[in-house]
Amino acid sequence: MIRNYFKIAVRNLWKNKGFSAINIAGLAIGLACFILIALFVMDELSYDRFYPDADRIYRVDADIKFGGNNLNLTVSSDPMGPVLKKDYPQVEEYTRIYASEGSKLVRKGNEYINEEKIVYADSTFFNIFPQKVVSGETKTALFEPNTVVISETAAKKYFSTVDAAGKTIDIDKKPFKVTAVIKDMPHNSHFHFDFIMSMKNVEYDWNNFLSHNFHTYILLKKGTDYHAFEKNFTQVLDNYVLPQAKQFMTGLNSMDDFRKSGNKLDYSLMPLTKIHLYSHRFPELEANSNIQFVYIFSAVALFILLIACINFMNLSTARSVNRAKEVGIRKVLGTGKKNLIAQFLSESALMAFISLLLALVLTYFTLPLFNNIAAKSMSAGSIFSSSFLPFLIALPVIVGLLAGLYPAFFLSRFKPIAVLKGKINAGFKKNTLRSGLVVFQFFTSIVLIIGTIIVYQQLHFIQNTNLGFTKDQVLIIDDAYALNKNDEVFKNAVLQLPGVKSGTMSGYLPVNSSRTDNTYSREAVMDPKNALSMQSWIVDYDYINTLGMKIIKGRDFSKDFGTDSNAVILNETAAKVLGYEDPVGKKLFRQSPDGKTTSYTIIGIVKDFHFESLRQNIYPLGLMLGHSNSIISFKIATANIKPLIQQIQNKWKALAPGMPFSYRFMDDAFNNMYRAEQRVEKVAITFAILAIIIACLGLFGLVTYMAEQRTKEIGVRKVLGASVPNLVAMLSKDFMKLVAIASVIAFPVAWWGMHTWLQDFAYRISIEWWVFALAAFIALLIALLTVSVQAIKAAMANPVKSLRTE
Amino acid sequence: MIKIKDLEKIYRTEEVETIALNKLSMEVKDGEFVAVMGPSGCGKSTLLNILGLLDDPDAGSFIFNGIEVAKFNERKRADLRKHNIGFVFQSFNLIDELTVFENVELPLIYTGVKSSERKKRVDEVLDKVQIMHRRNHYPQQLSGGQQQRVAVARAVVNKPKLILADEPTGNLDSHNGNEVMEMLTDLNEQGTTIVMVTHSEHDARYSHRIIRMLDGQTVLENIMV
Ligand SMILES: Nc1ncnc2c1ncn2[C@@H]1O[C@H](COP(=O)(O)OP(=O)(O)O)[C@@H](O)[C@H]1O
Ligand SMILES: [Mg+2]
Repeated sequence: MIRNYFKIAVRNLWKNKGFSAINIAGLAIGLACFILIALFVMDELSYDRFYPDADRIYRVDADIKFGGNNLNLTVSSDPMGPVLKKDYPQVEEYTRIYASEGSKLVRKGNEYINEEKIVYADSTFFNIFPQKVVSGETKTALFEPNTVVISETAAKKYFSTVDAAGKTIDIDKKPFKVTAVIKDMPHNSHFHFDFIMSMKNVEYDWNNFLSHNFHTYILLKKGTDYHAFEKNFTQVLDNYVLPQAKQFMTGLNSMDDFRKSGNKLDYSLMPLTKIHLYSHRFPELEANSNIQFVYIFSAVALFILLIACINFMNLSTARSVNRAKEVGIRKVLGTGKKNLIAQFLSESALMAFISLLLALVLTYFTLPLFNNIAAKSMSAGSIFSSSFLPFLIALPVIVGLLAGLYPAFFLSRFKPIAVLKGKINAGFKKNTLRSGLVVFQFFTSIVLIIGTIIVYQQLHFIQNTNLGFTKDQVLIIDDAYALNKNDEVFKNAVLQLPGVKSGTMSGYLPVNSSRTDNTYSREAVMDPKNALSMQSWIVDYDYINTLGMKIIKGRDFSKDFGTDSNAVILNETAAKVLGYEDPVGKKLFRQSPDGKTTSYTIIGIVKDFHFESLRQNIYPLGLMLGHSNSIISFKIATANIKPLIQQIQNKWKALAPGMPFSYRFMDDAFNNMYRAEQRVEKVAITFAILAIIIACLGLFGLVTYMAEQRTKEIGVRKVLGASVPNLVAMLSKDFMKLVAIASVIAFPVAWWGMHTWLQDFAYRISIEWWVFALAAFIALLIALLTVSVQAIKAAMANPVKSLRTE
Repeated sequence: MIKIKDLEKIYRTEEVETIALNKLSMEVKDGEFVAVMGPSGCGKSTLLNILGLLDDPDAGSFIFNGIEVAKFNERKRADLRKHNIGFVFQSFNLIDELTVFENVELPLIYTGVKSSERKKRVDEVLDKVQIMHRRNHYPQQLSGGQQQRVAVARAVVNKPKLILADEPTGNLDSHNGNEVMEMLTDLNEQGTTIVMVTHSEHDARYSHRIIRMLDGQTVLENIMV
């Protein structure tokens, strides 16, 4: 029986090749999009879940508000982990990662290579985050100082073998013993380290509750409610933090005092499995994603699948009218309603199945492209992973049922006599369900178009907003400390090269990187009320000039003033927080942990410039004169960049033999801050276009059938004198109405969605009305083009043929 | 009014070539009422479609109101057609979604008549064919005879000089058929030229002249007395 159904189904598909092709293609594209996005979403949701105790691991986060500054940190103080384990039995284990030292030079033969994925960790790291061991063992790997665990990649790179346990490696000119080689950490981990050194090698002012520098993870005992556990942090604050804070701040008697003066120090726990999607703190071990993307992408996937299913339904019902006669005859011959439904369902299931096969092929070939856009490394194999496969098999069944059910019932309901008399046509044109579905398709397309335009505008705004400094034509040389005492020589040598205008040596640049705040005060004796928490950057005389910043009050650092070593230039925000009418000439104090007080004189105010992403507001910042040689930047003016870089590299090789030379451009570094947004933009554009294509494919099919249904009417109208434009207008009018309705519904939805998205940016565009008009116009135009192609064809047909009754 | 000479129409499909009109010549004078008869498939409808400027001949000459129209393009034919010719079909060909009033109004819309004028003229003809009381009904709510009366009203609302009727009584019983025939006769008496295809000798007797066709050619002409 079923075989018979399928035999007829195959025959029917073949008989209506054009229709089947449109239907299958639309559904295949829809399914392919859906599969791609489903893979993406599943990958995003899988982060860090592979650790056996993933659901019991938490990171200790700190929220600090102090001196007009607000910090949401991923790190806590060094004694936090040990204290939690000592005082609270719910804490089974803790481990700390110390990543503040950044990249290090690792020796390979005579060459030094700059390694970035390098950290220190407690020996308990592997108890909480067990890794697959390739050689050696991890249980005691980090007990001793001068030990390091390296990844398989690192082992191959430095030893040309994964069997490197027991060998020695030079890190920052110190020998470390490799105690274990581990497999590279899975891609869906929120950190990836190539070198994990023993915590015992960290030189640090230990037992300091007031400095936050350690990523601290704790493992809670089974059944512990982490929200309840967080309440214990008040105790930790009172017992440990307060006594230390009292030494620095006069007049501080309790944490309440601290809070009353507008400050804050709170600790909280971040579940491990939430870090990748929910943690937007500082400093993250790696750039995280955002749950927003997961929501946006899931919505887009569902919408596209729906659009595709709707096409399928619409086209099948539309075509079913052509088959009304067949149904009528079958019914007269005694075929039961059930058989008819089965027949139609097997046809749609067959089509859905063919679509799925096609979709898999499409997915296979577009996955690399999608990986590229979404910055993922998903493999085609994961389509057939055990968690995805049942879903994949269920998909065509669901889609087939969903799309076939309505036409099946629609058709089997026909009264044979009415059908044979041709009375079914009347019902076809006034089908409100179908109209609703078309409205939905265009609603989705219009929302996507609006979203795409606004994302594009915001990114464009970011690229072109006045940053307060010039990011173009600035070449950055990283890790310049490798030059040691040759740094000035190098800088001066490069300045001699043609095309180099100026150069500056500094610790930081106005693109986001890991930086810390220090606390300053207006009086020599600090109390929480006169404190100012601000970043301080060590710069040289040429910094402001090279980066094109503006002094708006006072003056820049100058060699003509011998006293500038104790001078500070503040940004506008810092000046505002201090609250002086005229800050130039006023003093600023800083107390170092050992109790020494340094005083600075404010010599100038620099116009606020953006040094973090435009998502954030500008924070207080002070520039101080000094020698910091981690970065050397050159302002260049040449179209011929390649040879210039080659010349600079030659100078580097001469002055820092064996040391890695790395450079980048400031505008690239700047753009890197908006990778995520650019990614969303690309994905949004791609899927908006696909959604529109699928919707139009459906519309095209629909109009074809509509015109076919109305051939007789079109013929009659032509006989009565209707012109081709008359007829095209008549056929298009109804669809245009639907698109107009779709626009009206789409506008508020799109406005709300984009308004919400823009809230993420401290600096953002305002949504303009013409975007909506443009989106509606685009949708209308595309629909009109699609419809008129078919309408013109129908209108041009010879009416004699359509009116022949014999 | 109509003068055709050596008219040819050949239908080509993938397998067969049908000669629907084979060097056919005939003439219809202003104010005449002509019936065309002949066995099924002999080319009557084809002839009517060419006379009605719905289709173009493959060869021969067709002079309509003194103008050679055989080589007219689609737009020129449509223009001539909508001002001069009305059609009545066997299967009525009313548009199901439109009311009686709207169906009759259509030709006036396409010839650009103003709305107030349209209303006046539609009501006038609906009154004449005695269907006024049904003006807001849909075609399916009417009997076959009533539907054909609406079709006749639609054909004459533009005051055409020529009415072409293809088996107008073919789907009607004799009572309703006679009513339609009376209406056509009335129109003819008021000066409209009529060419009607029919299978019924009874209906043909309403005409002035019968043209008999066989295999795409005229074989006989009877003048009625
Ligand atoms: N569109 C067409 N394509 C092919 N053959 C046609 C077409 N229209 C009519 N014919 C053929 O031309 C011949 C004349 O048809 P027609 O004029 O409709 O005959 P009648 O109206 O006298 O019954 C018939 O053999 C018919 O099959
Ligand atoms: Mg005929």
